[in-house]
Amino acid sequence: MEALQPFREALSNRHEAAKQWKRQNRPVIGWTCTYTPEEIIYASQALPVMVWGSLGETTLADAYMPSNSCSFARSCFNAALRGDYDYLDAFVESTSCDNREKTFDMWVNYSKVPNIYLINTPHTNTENAHQFFHREAAKFKEWLERTFKTEISNSLLDDAIRVYNENRNLLRKIYDLKMRKTPLISGTEYLEIALSGLVMPKLEHNVLMSKFLEEAESRSGLPREGLRLLVSGSVMDNIELVKLIESVGGMVVADDWCTGSRYFWNNVEHGSADPLEAVARRYLNKVPSSFMFMQEERFKHVTELAKRFQVDGVIMFLIKYCDTHMFDAPHLRDKLKAMGLPVLYLEWEHSMSGFAGLKTRIEAFIEMIGGVK
Amino acid sequence: MTAVDRGLKSTSGFYRNYVKKSYEEAHRAKTEKRPVAWVSSTFPVETLQAMDVIPVWPENYASVCAARQASVELCQVAEREGFSRDLCSYSRCVLGSVFGYEKNLPEGGLPKPDFLAATSSACDTHMKWFQVASRLYKAPLFILDTPYNIGGGDSEHLDKAHVEYYESQLNELFAFLEKQTGSKLDKYKLSHTLALSDWTSRLWTEIQDLRKNVPCPMDARDAFSAVFFMLCIPGSQDAVDFYTQLRDELRQRAKDNIGVVENERFRLVWDNLPLWYNLKVFEYLNSLGAVAVAEVFSHTWTGSLDPEKPYESLARKYLPNMANSTIQRRVNIILNLVKNFHVNGVILPTNWGCRMMSIGETIVKDIVYKKLGVQSLIIDIDSSDWRIAGEAQVNERLATFLETLT
Repeated sequence: MEALQPFREALSNRHEAAKQWKRQNRPVIGWTCTYTPEEIIYASQALPVMVWGSLGETTLADAYMPSNSCSFARSCFNAALRGDYDYLDAFVESTSCDNREKTFDMWVNYSKVPNIYLINTPHTNTENAHQFFHREAAKFKEWLERTFKTEISNSLLDDAIRVYNENRNLLRKIYDLKMRKTPLISGTEYLEIALSGLVMPKLEHNVLMSKFLEEAESRSGLPREGLRLLVSGSVMDNIELVKLIESVGGMVVADDWCTGSRYFWNNVEHGSADPLEAVARRYLNKVPSSFMFMQEERFKHVTELAKRFQVDGVIMFLIKYCDTHMFDAPHLRDKLKAMGLPVLYLEWEHSMSGFAGLKTRIEAFIEMIGGVK
Repeated sequence: MTAVDRGLKSTSGFYRNYVKKSYEEAHRAKTEKRPVAWVSSTFPVETLQAMDVIPVWPENYASVCAARQASVELCQVAEREGFSRDLCSYSRCVLGSVFGYEKNLPEGGLPKPDFLAATSSACDTHMKWFQVASRLYKAPLFILDTPYNIGGGDSEHLDKAHVEYYESQLNELFAFLEKQTGSKLDKYKLSHTLALSDWTSRLWTEIQDLRKNVPCPMDARDAFSAVFFMLCIPGSQDAVDFYTQLRDELRQRAKDNIGVVENERFRLVWDNLPLWYNLKVFEYLNSLGAVAVAEVFSHTWTGSLDPEKPYESLARKYLPNMANSTIQRRVNIILNLVKNFHVNGVILPTNWGCRMMSIGETIVKDIVYKKLGVQSLIIDIDSSDWRIAGEAQVNERLATFLETLT
């Protein structure tokens, strides 16, 4: 389908596009946790891009980070050491988990990025936490203004909120195409669309998604049907897993990745007198990641997705050394099993070679469900 | 002239006299229907003590199980229940003891909590682990969300917003405690507890300072036992009494030049945790002429408390905890220890299931060498799971490192 091509190009061309952006004398700011209030970066006229790892080995990072550290964080840091992110004017990390807090020190001490910022992210959403995070958001805004000699006005923030909410709404519309009995879009295609939006200007992404939606209904060559699966996990920064699943008879119709459904599920309240407060509030109130105290809300999100998207099974896909998701895993597994869903639990070391051992298990799982069905 | 005497009178029989007793006391409290709470590392335990709640420390319990060689078996129980082997061994060990498959648990197991209190300050792992326990026991859990000490400053150099957020949650905490215990907070009792905790901190600091003496009068093995009071029950008369006795004994030893080894060839700083299942490693170091004269662990739990400003001073005591701070804080602590304790080598043990203790040791190593010319050894271990690194392997790494220092 032709309307998908620009998303793929944005993905494969992302570093070049970011460098292009810089040529207009506008900064590029890398972020890596979906609790980073992106709207504030956008309102500063910079290009926010999510920092990802790559799927090669992490030899450079291994010299500094131990093998029991988050393999996603290690992979991102490896990309930084290799120079993939030398164009960044700033890198923004979040205190959302132990791995992130400590990886921040790594970037400060060993990367070439000139400005590095750490946002203090509460692990709860009580009123006290909201007040604290509002202040943190204000500090972050002031830091951006100071560092990049710019001013982030309320009207710029309002504009950012409008663009980001629009982005979330469009992502959701496309996501829901997978709810149909015969999905109009595959999991791989969805992820290409979603991921590209994390590294390209949101306005442009919105235009591309609208165009895609116009053409989607009349698309020819529907994706190959497969067993409807939900993948539950932390972050996903590449399409390889979903491609693998969909190459052996599965179809990823739903997920609870922070770069997947958790990314667009909740909007910022529009038209608030204090747009910064509204932005900050959205992040603490969104469908929680496992580092937040409200774990039951995340479980509810997963189980409801499983029902609404009528999945046949769940793959729990854990990136190695992600403590908070590993602690949640046994209980979530039990909840899903209690719904009568088959569950496959996998731990993955973030790299292409990490997939090798998983393929047979995924294949066997899909065959097993297929046999019962 | 130096005399050698390894055994301290104060710490002789420490486990039996104090640790074991604390578990017996907690079990008795339970039968007497007094409130018992599970408390996580770096939680402001003084608040519970002031409300007559009996605190028990799952983290301490894991180290007890490891010392009794029971931890791996319990970890395996948790692994069978679906908890990844890469998770913190403390948490696996304690959760393993909760599922109820093992009958002969050390100290009869942990008493069932009436409620649990955890904070994100030491790590997110504690909070997640306590969530699991809270669900298993159907007991309420209070979580104190500690902002991360980004500046890495000490208690005098903290972000005001962090202190205020912490204080606001102490209000929530006391409301929770009043509900759980059915009694009102007695402000006088809180002041009294804080005063005792402050005194405990000062005594513990004096004790550590005495170890600057050459020869060092106390080894890491004793310190890792004796820190129990500082860590678990700081706001108590028992803590003050014990530390007074220990300080006096060390003063005398320093005066008489009594040390742990004959000729101190190596004075070491030991970071993070020991191998609880193999505390003999410190004796092995002694046999090579080495003494661990300072543990970073012994230098991160103290903090002065002002009974006149209970909330603010609790915030200022707990916020700058090393685990809750950027790496600069750990680096500064170690630089000071190396300088002030006449140290010529640093041991940086990582901890397999612990990100806070594992990531960043390269930075420590680099900076300590650059600033002071002192070498460090990063050694991959686990505090309680001996499957990660065996005794012979650890001893060999240590011995090789010491050779490079000569």
